[in-house]
This record gives sequence, C-alpha cells and structure tokens, in this order.
Amino acid sequence: MPQAALKTPPKPLAPVPFNVPQAKRTTLENGLRVVIIEDARVPLVSFRLAFLSGDADDPAGSVGQTSALAAMLTEGTQNYSSRALAEKIERLGAGLSASASDDFTIVSATALALYTSEILQLIAEIVFKPTFPENELDLYRRNTVEHLKFQRSQANFLAGEQTARILYGSHPYSRVSPTAAEVERITSEDLASLHRSRFVANNAVLIVVGDVEHDLFLNDIREHFGEWRQGPVEQRRSDRPKALAARKLTIVDRPGSAQSNIVLANLAIRRNDPDYFPLLVMNQVLGAGASSRVFMNLREEKGYTYGAYTRIDARKDSGDIEATAEVRTAVTGDSLKEFFYELERIRNEKVSPEELADAKNFLTGVFPIRAETQEGLTNLILSQELHGLPADYLNTYRDKVNAVNAADVARAASKYISPGQMSIVIVGDAGEILEQARDHADDVELFDTEGNQIDLAEYEARLTGEAASFSGVWKLGLDFQGQEVPVTLTIEQSGNSVSGKIETALGDGEITAGSVRGDSLSATANTEIQGQSVEFVINGKLEGEAISGTISAAVIPDSLPFKGSRA
Amino acid sequence: MPNMSETFNLSPLKIEQYTLGNGLRIVLNPDDAVPVVALAVYYDVGSRNEREGRTGFAHLFEHMMFQGSENVKKAEHFQYIMKAGGTMNGTTSSERTNYYETLPASELPLGLWLESDRMRSLAVTQENLDNQREAVKEEKRLRYDNQPYGQIFDLIAEMIYKNFSNAHSTIGSMEDLDDATVEDVQEFFRIYYAPNNAVLTLSGAFDTETAKNLIETFFGDIPSQPLPPAINVEEPTEVAANYKEWEDKLAPFPAFLIGWKIPQRRSAEYNALYLAGKLLYDGESSRLYQKLVKGEESIIQLFGFTDERRGPSSIYIGAIPKPEKDLSKIRDVIMTEIAKIAKDGPTADEMQKLHNQLINDMVRLRQSSQARAQAIAEFSLYDGEPGLINTELETLMAITPEQIRAAAAEYLHSDNRSLLDIVPAGKG
Repeated sequence: MPQAALKTPPKPLAPVPFNVPQAKRTTLENGLRVVIIEDARVPLVSFRLAFLSGDADDPAGSVGQTSALAAMLTEGTQNYSSRALAEKIERLGAGLSASASDDFTIVSATALALYTSEILQLIAEIVFKPTFPENELDLYRRNTVEHLKFQRSQANFLAGEQTARILYGSHPYSRVSPTAAEVERITSEDLASLHRSRFVANNAVLIVVGDVEHDLFLNDIREHFGEWRQGPVEQRRSDRPKALAARKLTIVDRPGSAQSNIVLANLAIRRNDPDYFPLLVMNQVLGAGASSRVFMNLREEKGYTYGAYTRIDARKDSGDIEATAEVRTAVTGDSLKEFFYELERIRNEKVSPEELADAKNFLTGVFPIRAETQEGLTNLILSQELHGLPADYLNTYRDKVNAVNAADVARAASKYISPGQMSIVIVGDAGEILEQARDHADDVELFDTEGNQIDLAEYEARLTGEAASFSGVWKLGLDFQGQEVPVTLTIEQSGNSVSGKIETALGDGEITAGSVRGDSLSATANTEIQGQSVEFVINGKLEGEAISGTISAAVIPDSLPFKGSRA
Repeated sequence: MPNMSETFNLSPLKIEQYTLGNGLRIVLNPDDAVPVVALAVYYDVGSRNEREGRTGFAHLFEHMMFQGSENVKKAEHFQYIMKAGGTMNGTTSSERTNYYETLPASELPLGLWLESDRMRSLAVTQENLDNQREAVKEEKRLRYDNQPYGQIFDLIAEMIYKNFSNAHSTIGSMEDLDDATVEDVQEFFRIYYAPNNAVLTLSGAFDTETAKNLIETFFGDIPSQPLPPAINVEEPTEVAANYKEWEDKLAPFPAFLIGWKIPQRRSAEYNALYLAGKLLYDGESSRLYQKLVKGEESIIQLFGFTDERRGPSSIYIGAIPKPEKDLSKIRDVIMTEIAKIAKDGPTADEMQKLHNQLINDMVRLRQSSQARAQAIAEFSLYDGEPGLINTELETLMAITPEQIRAAAAEYLHSDNRSLLDIVPAGKG
C-alpha cells in the first residue's frame, strides 16, 4: 500500500453484531425469581443470589447492620467454621463472598462448572444457616472501627460523606458509613433478626450464568431453594430527596492540604428512569472520560489537575450527577469557574455532531468488552434484574444509545444540571479555599474531618484575628472511657507555628507540626508507646486561661475530650 | 468430593505464528465468542537492558510512545481508541515494554494502523523528551515518593540482586534521564523499537486472512535494525542475609517485607516456589492468613507474590501488623510456617486446592481476549513458543509435593533472605 494511504485512520471493517445469550426466567412457588443463562464459552459458572434490601434498609438508628450481616455470612454456619468454609471453597478453586450496597445485599459465587452442585450447596449453607459467632463478630467490629478511622484520613471519603448528606437529606442514602458507636453496638441477635426478616424467598433473585444445562439445573435449584420460606418484607422509609433551594458550598477543613478535592452535585435520576440513555450520552460528552469536555478543559488546557470527570450514580430511589476533580489548592476557585463554564455550556449550546458520534461510539463499543468475561456478563444481567429493566435491555442497549440525538442531550442537560441548586463540597485547607470559593455559592458552611460543623463566623474571626498565645505548660485532664488521665502539654509558639512536647503516663512525644489560628490550636505529636510509634492529633481552643479540645489517634476508636489550665 | 481436577481437559486455543520479512513476530489467536479484538505489542526491552548511568529509558518510552508519530498527533492515539469504543494502555517491567488495545472487532485496522505508525515513525524530538522527562518525574512523585510504602519494592530489589541489570528500578534515576540527549533517545528507539525486536499478538474475533493482509500492509515496510547488544543478567546464587531499615515519612503503620532470590521463571524450582507461595499467602484459607489475620489477629494486611523474570527471579512476603504487635514474632510465625513446608511439604488437601486453583486461573485467563493476547505474547517473546498457553497448565499440575518441599527448603530460609523494615517517620 502506498504511504499516502496511511496518512489518515483506516476505515473500519463491517460491524459484527453482538448477541447477548438468552436468559430463561422462572419464579418458584415461594416467590424466588430464578434467571438462568446457558453460557458454554468457558467451563465456568457464576452465581448471584441478590436480596432487594441493602444498607438503605438498615433499621432506624442502626446504620451498618446490613453490611455486617453480609460480611458475617461467610464467618461461620451450622456446619462450617469460618476457617473450614474458606478451606472448602478454596479447595474447589472457587470464590464465595457477600456484600451490601445501598439497595441490595448480594451473595456472589464463581466456580469451575464441574463444581456447580458443590457451590450451590455452599450458597444455601451460608444463606440458610449462618450462626454469627461472637468471636468472629468481635473481630469484624474491631476491624471495621479501624477502617472507619482510616477512612477519615481519605479526602474522597470525606467529600462523598458530605455530598450524600447534603443531597439526600432525610433519605437513608444520606449516610455513607456507620459511626464507630453504631458498629460497636451490633450484636449477633441483631444480625439473626435482620436475617430472619430479610432473607426470605420472595425478597430474592437468583442469577446463574454458565456452562449448565437449564432443566437439570433448575431441579437442583428447586431442591436447595424450593422449601425456602416466604415472609413479609418491610418497605423502606424513603422520603423523596428535595433539590437545594440555592447553591451551597460545604468545606471540610484539612489544614495543610496541598490539594482541594472538589465534588459538585445535583440530584438526578433513578436507575429505571426513561431519561437514563440521554443522560448517559450527555455525561459521556461532558465528563465521563479522558476525551470529554471537563477533562480537556481542566487538565489538558489549564493543567489544574491530573483528572477531572463527571459521573452519574443512578440508584433504586434516586440518584445524582457529580463533577469531581482533585486540584492544586491555589487553583480551587479557578477550577470552580471552569466547571461552571462547562456545566452552563452543555445546558445552553447543542453538542456538535462529532462529539455526539464520539460519545455514542465509545458507549456502544465498550459494551461487548464489558460483557466479554462471564463475571462481566453476570453483573450486567444482575443490574438489569435488580432495577426491573426490560427483558430485552441488554440486546437493545446499543440501539438505545444510538437513538439519542442532540436535542435529547440538550433536554437531559437542562433538566438535570441545575448550577443554581448545586452542592459544592471541597475538602482541603479552609483557610486557603474559603476566599477563592465563596463567591461561587449562595450559602457557605464549614466542617472538620470528624464531621462536626465549625461556626463560620468564629472561624473567620480567627483567620483574620491575631493569633492567641498558647506558649507555656498546660496540665490537661483527658477523659478516657470515664477515667480522667493526666497529660502535660508544653508549647513554644512563634507567630502561627508551634512546637513542643506531650507527656503521658504511657510515654512522651514531640510535637512535629502545629499551628494557631485565632484562638484555636491544631498540632500533631509523635510518641512511642510500647515500642510502637503512635501519632496524636491535638485540637484545642483557648477560653481565657482555660483550654479544651480533643486528642485523637489511629489506635483509639473515638477522639478523647480534654480540659485543662496553665500549670 | 471426587477429585475431578486430575482428569480436567481444556480444548486447546487456536494459535498461528509467523514472521514478517522485517523480523516482526506475529501470533494470531482467532476466537469469535464475542465481537472484540485484542492487540498486544511486546517490545523486548525493559529495565534489564539498561546499564549504569542510563537508567529509566525503557520506562521513558512508555510515555514517549503516546507523544505522536508521523500521522498521529500528540495524544491522538488515545482519542482514536476512545472514540472507537476501545480501551488501551502500556506498561514497563524489568523484562519488556508492552502496548495494548481492546477494540470492537470492526476496528482492527485502526489498532494496527496506530501501532504501526508509532513503530515506524515515533516523534523523538527535544520538545517531547523534555515534556516526558517532567511527566516521569511527576509520576515518580505521585506513585513512589508520595505514596505510603511506595518505594519498598525498589529498595528490596536492590538488596536481593547483585547484578546492576537486575537490581535497579524500572522508573530509573532522574539524574540519568536529565543527562539523556535527544540523540541517545533516538538511538534507543532505533535499536529497541525495531520490528525484529517485537512480537505482535492478536486475539479475538477476526478473519485470519484479513488480519494477515492488514498486518503486512501496515507493518511490512518498517525496516529492521541490527540486534540490540547482548545482556548478562547472571547472579551469584546466594544472597547473604540482608537487613535494612527504611524510614517512610508517609507510612501510617510499621511494616516489613521479606524477599528471596529464586531461579528463573518456568524452571521447575520457580514453579514449585510459585505454588509454595500460593499455599502461604493466597486467599483466606492460606496458611499465613489463617495464622496471622485470623488466629493471632496480629496483622492488618498480608501480601505475597513472585516477580517472574527470564533471569534470576524473586518471591516476596510482606505484612502490615496491627499497631501494638511485635514484628519479630510475626516474622517468626512466617519462618516457622515456611519451615513446616520445607520439612513436611504440602498436604494432600493443599495439593487438591492448588490444582483446582490452577485450572480456575487458566480458565479465567482464557475468557478475556486481552488477557489471552498478553499471555501468548509473553510466551512468544520469552520462550519463542506461543503454544505454551496450551500446555502450561499441565506443566504446573505436574509439580509434585516433594518438589515444593525441596524448593522451599533450598531457597526460603533465613540465610538467603533480605528483610526490609519500614518505620513510620511521621510528618516532618
């Protein structure tokens, strides 16, 4: 071929149709829905036993129970200890696990097809006969509390936590995580009771994809699940989330952060909304990938960030659309400006035919790649079943994407992107961010990383006011589970920065970083306790000659309050 | 339970291999289960080809290859793939640099055109070099210097290996990159990115004749080059027991990493140690998980893996203990458990578990066209034998409990051990 022919991309070959294997659906007498797909491409079988109850159905005041129930299913049953079960599953070369999302609780299993009946039996075992042993639950509670602590060091967790709270108000989607206290309260009885009420046949759907023969396999399923009892399933209390009245800025203060994590969000759609496809294509043009508008603007043109994206999160009761980026602190305000520029532009200008075609090509092109593995195909079917999407959903997916036109995109943008009612959450150094960002919003509120609201007027007075002097030796009384523990704090202050030391009965440490803003002190101290290095975070406030505040450390589940005075 | 794994049979994958006139090795694996095609181009260049004072070049090219070529402008490669509904990436290891795309079956010509254009005419200019040096520095800051525990694997490799080719990191030295001239980099491209130093694999839904014609059209006229200089990756067998303490400013908890030097990939000993490793650290029923994460509840995270190389390779076990735990006791538990394998070997139950897991891993790998393309490309590049994809399972299944015992006894002891202790150095 002459060189000239290579100058431009070659024409594609004829398109190859993609036929999703047919699903066969049966409902057993007890209400259990069964979906079987015979897929003999590889000698594997994949299972999902999904319950139509999730974290959002946690009993009031007991966030975390559904997730605990899911995690504990594989930690002990009438016939297997946690260890015996792990050994049995792995000896088959198989996988079996359970987890909960907002709307669903899902038991997943995968195995070589030759072990289909063994794995089906194990699914029945963990679903019908879990025992929630006390020692395993204790380990779960402790590990989960550690994990909750760790999450608070992650900026994207803090941003997600605030965004959910603001968007979803009194709907359970507003809670993304339990508190340590909620986790510590969970008992075996709680889990057994939740198990009795939720794990009933009419609240479940069983999906099987793999190298199985339908009729024979349905008999196996009847054998294990045919006698499963039915029961009433409590409906979720679900107040419909309401759009914000104005644009609201929420800052989570992380003093010293080099970056600002920005999340802009509007409420959008449920997963089964007919506007799903127009919104999907709109999102692809706006920010779903690395050739989308916000990425090209904030990263490629402006260089504010490593990546800037938008995404839609459509769940059972409601959903949202978010624009996110981690940007250098100094360009926080400029980034908001560019985000709003793009949000207004997609509302006000029609997308070009080329952009529209690119977005649709991407969405239709990656679809078969996602369905290539059995696990991928199983997850697509699962989502279809759980959200009650039409039976031909997967086979018509690409047609539905292709049917979206520029007018549909414009309609979706103006309906679901409402810059005037947006939530703006920024996790970063409030002292640096506040002035850059506040003009972009109608209301402003401020939180610390523990989720406590900080009085904005006081904070600003501190920012602009003279730094109080903390220099000197302080005798503190630390409240440790009701016991008062003495602590001595020695502080040397120079301008806004502090150094010094902390002395406790367990060991002494140096203050390695610290600053004063107005009458507030925040400092980090490193100590050695029983040969291990432990980092304390000290937050204190001066009131006349008295000081009060909290000390926290990764090894302690909750931050400990203290009060004290000069020695 | 019947032990059906002994008689398990997988139908062989269709493999056709040939070489273009310019030396480019081609492997075709047609499979039309899903209308998707995967391309993988493997260049026989990794950090093992770099000498002292010239490190980081192989990885630098992973960046340079997206900076444009004669007919594809900077960043367009990625845009073309996205717009066609595909996915792509490139990675660098000690052994090779790979580039790959997964595309709708109809877009095979696009993938071949993009890969051929940069093989023929990469834009190795001063501007691109300066740009990408900075991008690599940023990547180093982000992925290594600024990550808790981000540098520990590079540090322990320097402790295990004595030969510079093996010991230095893939990301390389920033000073070496700064010293590189555009002529150095052009010469590196000419020699290592030549068609006769690469393998191209296609896997997925395509017609073999059509694919062959397209490959000849796009790649056939790229000139071959002289062979790259020979390299020597030999190592003294023994690693004197080696210890180092590393102060990690970002690590929230103390941790440790143990590494051993072991024979090359696909040797019987390597395979036996790979299986010993699975028994020790893979999955919730593994020996160390049950001892340390359950049992003693002394560990937050346990991990282990083998680093597979054409020359001397390595195996690692690491742990992040809970804050108040004694690290040396945890290491004793690990060494005791290894000593048990070295004395008694695996149990019959464990052998059955290994066999089922090996079958399962192989079946799973075969589901994805991209995973197949990459596995086949490796066998082709490293072993000259793409058909190993069809026999490797049998080779691994044939490893005996005694081989596993003996290999653990010979290699996984304290005299051959490098130990890196990671000490949190707090916020400075």
